[in-house]
Amino acid sequence: MLALRPVQLTDLPQLQRLARESLVGVTSLPDDTERLRQKILASCASFEADVQSPGGESYLFVLQDQESGCLVGCSEILASTGCNEPFYSLRNRPFSSESRELNIQHGVPALSLCQDLSGQTLLRGFHIDAQRVRTSQSELLSRARLMFIAAHPRRFAESVITEIVGFSTEDGQSPFWDAIGQHFFDLPYVEAERLCGLQSRTFLAELMPQYPIYVPMLPPAAQACIGRVHPDGQEAFDILEREGFETNSYVDLFDGGPTLHARTANIRSITLSRLAIARQSPEIDARGRFLVSNDGLGSYRAIVAELDVRADGPVGLSPDMLVALGVTDGEPVRVVTL
Amino acid sequence: MIVRPVALTDLPALLYLARCAGPGFTSLPANEERLAHRIRWAQRTFAGQVERADADYLFVLEDDDRQVVGISALTGAIGLREAWYNYRVGMTVSSAPALGIERRIPTLFLNNEMTGQSEICSLYLHPEQRYAHNGRLLSLARLLFVAEFPQMFGEKLIAELRGHADEQGCSPFWDSLGRHFFKKDFSYADQLSGMGNKSFIAELMPRQPLYTCLLTEQAQAVIGKAHPNSEPAMRILNAEGFSHKGYIDIFDAGPVIEAAVSDIRTVRDSRALTLSIGTPDAQAPFWLIHNRRLESCRVTSARAHQHGHSLLVDRLTAKRLQVQPGDTVRAVPLPKRGPQAVAA
Repeated sequence: MLALRPVQLTDLPQLQRLARESLVGVTSLPDDTERLRQKILASCASFEADVQSPGGESYLFVLQDQESGCLVGCSEILASTGCNEPFYSLRNRPFSSESRELNIQHGVPALSLCQDLSGQTLLRGFHIDAQRVRTSQSELLSRARLMFIAAHPRRFAESVITEIVGFSTEDGQSPFWDAIGQHFFDLPYVEAERLCGLQSRTFLAELMPQYPIYVPMLPPAAQACIGRVHPDGQEAFDILEREGFETNSYVDLFDGGPTLHARTANIRSITLSRLAIARQSPEIDARGRFLVSNDGLGSYRAIVAELDVRADGPVGLSPDMLVALGVTDGEPVRVVTL
Repeated sequence: MIVRPVALTDLPALLYLARCAGPGFTSLPANEERLAHRIRWAQRTFAGQVERADADYLFVLEDDDRQVVGISALTGAIGLREAWYNYRVGMTVSSAPALGIERRIPTLFLNNEMTGQSEICSLYLHPEQRYAHNGRLLSLARLLFVAEFPQMFGEKLIAELRGHADEQGCSPFWDSLGRHFFKKDFSYADQLSGMGNKSFIAELMPRQPLYTCLLTEQAQAVIGKAHPNSEPAMRILNAEGFSHKGYIDIFDAGPVIEAAVSDIRTVRDSRALTLSIGTPDAQAPFWLIHNRRLESCRVTSARAHQHGHSLLVDRLTAKRLQVQPGDTVRAVPLPKRGPQAVAA
C-alpha cells in the first residue's frame, strides 16, 4: 500500500532521486542536495508553525510504499504566492488597437509581465515515478493536497493556482524560450530552468522583459507554445481540470505553459469530501475507490482505498488502512470519491 | 537654374515630376487635385497668411528656359496640428553579474520629441537634371531660406529619410511591426500617411517600448538605415551638420536626421552682402545666393567673389535673382562638389 505523508529530513536521498527524474520545467524540484535540504526544513517548520493566515509556508509531501519504504512521488503546496518573493507570470490579454478615423478596431494579443497571481495558494513540485503515471496513486499524490487544504482552510488562500509545465522538445528545446527568454538571458532553456531551481526564480524573472510582448511578432512555433502543456505535464493538468480548475489568461514566463486556477471553495475534493468516523472492519464490501485522509498536520496521511462509503454514518477501514492513516477506531477520517 | 516658390502654373510640371517619382514618393502624389491644393497652400504660406503650424514652403527648381525640373519643401513646424511620432532607439540592459548575464537590447521608445521642429522634405530632382550643383542647390536653398527667416522655424531642422523597402514596396520593418497593428501592407499605410493620416496609423501602435530582439532579423537589420536612393540626399545634409541621433520613422525605420538651425553650415556661414556686378574669373568659387525676399524668393548658385561686404557676380546671376547692384543678398560658399540629391 502507498501512503502520502509530510516529508522528513531522512527522505533527502530519495527525494533527490525523484528530483533528478523530474521534468525540466518543475523548477521547485532542483537536483541539488543543499537546496532540497532547505526545502525539507522549510516544510517541516511549516507543518509545525501555528498559522493564522496563509503566508510563505510550504508543505512538501511524499508518497511512500509502506512495505519497501521506497518513495515513488512527491508534491507540494505553497500557502501563498508572493510572500517571500514576488510571483511573476505573463498575462495574455489583447492590446486594443483602435482608430475611429480609420474605422479600425482590433485586439492584438500581448504578453505582459505581472504579479497578478500574488496571494494565492500554489500547487507545485508534482512528480511521480514514470510507471505510476495515470494510476490512482498519481491521483492520490495530487489530490491529497486538496484534502489537506480542506482540513486546514485557515492555512490557505481563497483561490488555488498551479502552473503546468509548458512544451519543450525531447532534446530540451523550448520554442517559447528561444523566442523570448533566450534574448534576455543568452542561456539555453534547460540551463535557465536549472538556474531557476538553484537560484531564486524571482531573480531570473526580474531579468525578463518589463514591456509587453506582442504575440503576432513571435515566430509561429513560439506562438503555438502559449498555453500548451508538456506531454508529461498533461496528467497533472487533467487531474486538476477534473477538480474544477480552469485555465485563465496567465502563462509561465519561461515556457509559456498554462496556469490553472480555482476558487478554493469550489474545488471538487474540498466541497465533496466529508468527515466520517473510522470503524475497524476486517472485511469490507467495497463499492468504489476513495481517497481517505486524516485531518492531521504533521501527522497527515492519505491513502487510496476500496471502501463501502454511505452518504453519512461511519466508514469501515481495514487494520492496514488504519495503520497507514495513523488513526484508530472511532477517530474521524476525510473521504472523497476517487 | 533658380529655386523659387511654387506657382499655380507649375501644376502640370509637378504632376509630371510626381509621375516620374513613382508611388513610393508619398508626399508628392500624382494627383492633380491634391497637388493643386498643396500649391495654393504654399502660396498662402509664402504670402504670410498661415500660422507656423500650417506653413508649407514648397520650392521648385527652374532652368533658364522656365522648365521646372525639381521640387523641395520645408514646413514651419511639425506635430502642432496632429501628433508627430518617432521611435527613439534606446537601450535595455538585462544584467545578472553573478550568472555572467549581460545582454544589451536595443529598444524602441515611441515619442513626440520632434514636435515644433521644422522638417525639410519632398525633395525630387528629375533624373536628367542630376548633374552639376542642381541637387545641392535644390536641397540647400531651403537652408539658406531658413537662415534668412529663422523666426519662422523651429530650433531644429529634421529630415525623415526613406527607409528600406524592396521594389514591390515591402518594408521588412513594417512587416515585422506595424502590420500586426494596422493589418495592411506597407504600401497602403505609406499611401495613407502621404495623405495626412500618419498620426491615425501611429495611434494604432502600442505606446509602450518595444524590444528589437523580438523583431525579425530582416527588420532589425534596417533600423536607422536609409534607402539607397536617399543616401545622396543624406550625404548632402550630413555635410551641413545633420546627424542621426537615434530617431527613426515608425513605419519603415528610416533614419531621422537633425541639426540645430544655428549649427547648420549654410546658416552659420551665410552672410548678408551687397551685390555688385562684374565678371568673376573662371576659378572663382561657387556660392549659394538668396535675394532675401519671402514671396518673391529666388536662390541660385553661381561663381562669385567676396570683397569685404560686397559680393561680385555676373549680370545673368543678378537677373536670375531679380536683384540690382547695391541690393543685399544672403550668400554662402557652396561646399565642394559632392553627391547629387535625388530624393529626400
